[in-house]
Amino acid sequence: MRDVTDELGRKIQIPQNIHRVVSLAPSVTETLYALGVQDRLVGDSDYCDYPPEAKQKPHVGGTISPSIETIASLHPDVVLVTKGINRLDTVNSLASLGIPSYAMDPHSVAEILTSTQRLADLMGAAQAGDTLATELRRQLAETHERVAPYPPRRVLYVVWPQPLISIGQDTFMADALRYSGAISIVNEPQSWPQISLEEVARQQPEFLVFSGSHMASASVNIDALAESPGWRILNAVRERRFANTSDAIERTSPRIVSAIAELAKQFHPEAFKVPTTFGFPAGGLPPIPTQDAPLPTEVKPTPRPPQAQLESIGTAECACAR
Amino acid sequence: MRPLTFTRLIVNCLYLAVILFVVMVIALKLGAVPVSLYGLAADLLQVLFHRTSALSSNYDLIVIDIRLPRILLGIVVGASLSVAGTAFQALLRNPLADPYILGASSGASLGAILTLIVQPYIALPLAISVVFTPVGAFVGAAVTIAAVYFLGRRDGTLDSNTLLLSGIVSGSFLSAIIMFLMSTLAGRGDLRGILFWLMGDLSTTLQPSLRWVLGVGFLIASGVIYSTASDLNLMLNGEKEAMHLGVDVPRVRLVVYLAASILTGIAVSVSGAIGYVGLLVPHVMRLIFGSDHRILIPTSAFGGAIAVVLADTLARTVVAPSELPVGAMTALAGAPLFIYLLRRKFA
Repeated sequence: MRDVTDELGRKIQIPQNIHRVVSLAPSVTETLYALGVQDRLVGDSDYCDYPPEAKQKPHVGGTISPSIETIASLHPDVVLVTKGINRLDTVNSLASLGIPSYAMDPHSVAEILTSTQRLADLMGAAQAGDTLATELRRQLAETHERVAPYPPRRVLYVVWPQPLISIGQDTFMADALRYSGAISIVNEPQSWPQISLEEVARQQPEFLVFSGSHMASASVNIDALAESPGWRILNAVRERRFANTSDAIERTSPRIVSAIAELAKQFHPEAFKVPTTFGFPAGGLPPIPTQDAPLPTEVKPTPRPPQAQLESIGTAECACAR
Repeated sequence: MRPLTFTRLIVNCLYLAVILFVVMVIALKLGAVPVSLYGLAADLLQVLFHRTSALSSNYDLIVIDIRLPRILLGIVVGASLSVAGTAFQALLRNPLADPYILGASSGASLGAILTLIVQPYIALPLAISVVFTPVGAFVGAAVTIAAVYFLGRRDGTLDSNTLLLSGIVSGSFLSAIIMFLMSTLAGRGDLRGILFWLMGDLSTTLQPSLRWVLGVGFLIASGVIYSTASDLNLMLNGEKEAMHLGVDVPRVRLVVYLAASILTGIAVSVSGAIGYVGLLVPHVMRLIFGSDHRILIPTSAFGGAIAVVLADTLARTVVAPSELPVGAMTALAGAPLFIYLLRRKFA
């Protein structure tokens, strides 16, 4: 056995070598696949849908109230949870059965990468973690290098149109927007604030951003919004300036990096027209930094008081998939 | 009971209309963008003469296109809920009755939730998709109302007690289905709106066509309830006594039940379940104006409109630029007020 401290500062005891894990969050499942350790994933949640093979794994129920019995029957060495969508109750029930839980809690894009590396360490795949993180940092730097010369777009991230729910400034999604060359006009401390349409109309965002969960009905949604009284005041709606991205933007998994690139292309199409490898583009853009350029906001994860954090597992945020 | 004269009715309603007007002006003035009273009057005149293109700036558009429709929606919803509450309290002869007591709100919520669940899987024409959820909510309320009607009959006519019980049971059954759906589908991102919808919210921007349907529906259903006001007064003393005095009690029950349910359906289909308004406003109005339904029904309509517009103004300004659901506001203010009225009555 060895002692490990998880991202909430909890000390847990886990076996030297991890052979069997259960993941209770879609983002964690994705991360395990990205690290190439999916063989050791013996069970995941009903909502773990990426990559598609993850759906073939035995399911242990939803993220909010998984079946503790099913988890126990899979005999995991450790259960992987996130503070954002799992509940403290689940962790406590597992603990009473002697099953340790490792909690992840990234709050920014940089923390998603370090969190991924820590999970790799836990799984004894530090090498894979470092390789993956290096590659992701390279992709982030590449996107940053493209969009950095342009002023950030002022955007509204639409979680839900009616009533209008957006994202708070401290969420990893707001951070992802910053990496993609945009800034959310919503400046609220809550994670999922309800915003007044008046305020949005006053601020006139340059783009509305829709995420993947609406992809199927997105086109209809947008036309419907353009017809709605109130919404049609928004220049972005009148001029159909929308950005779409997959649901990866809402998950704290390595895939968020590709979602960031996807959004950056929609926010700053002009930045992606010019080749970066052959000299300077026409129009006198500033010189493009080398690929080893430092990331814009490399944040060290701040230590948080463990107990206070755990108590708040399972708030209203639970309803939202990460 | 003080004799009701036409003058007294008109004067009291005028008082309330003036209060409502003042509340409307305050509500129009407060919000994310500043607007002067003079500018407000000028803008409203432009709108009255259909010269919206002459509005001077984007700010005016915000007030006219976002704030004004929301206030008008609050008026219709508040008035509908209060009139429905008054009607149900008289019909069921139960002071605890409110528009949601017969399960209409749970039915509407379930209808709305079902439309939200299926919407991503079916391709709807634009004209339908923009009204899909409110229509689904109204259908849910209507189906519940019909079911409760058939469950609430005894010997061929509506029985108040059976109606009350079958309404409550249907409501809790539907709430159980909602809980089931919400917990099994909790991880689906596109269902996030449900929670906010269940709390009661007026921020929905309605299609102009729906606004007309709402307004006309409210006027007709309230008119029908008002036409039975004298009969409801007699029924307060007991249904048998009313029958001896020549009131067609089964017909009145049916008409009031249907009209009040339609009012509830109208309100709940566009705003979710806004609590306490339909319960409290009739009680407050009864304390002020007495229990004569000929004056209680119109004053309740005004009172409900005032209450909801005030609550919504608070909901959208206290934590600006964020918003609170208006249902949270009405419950915060309503529950203590209800306790106060209750204690005062017994004191």
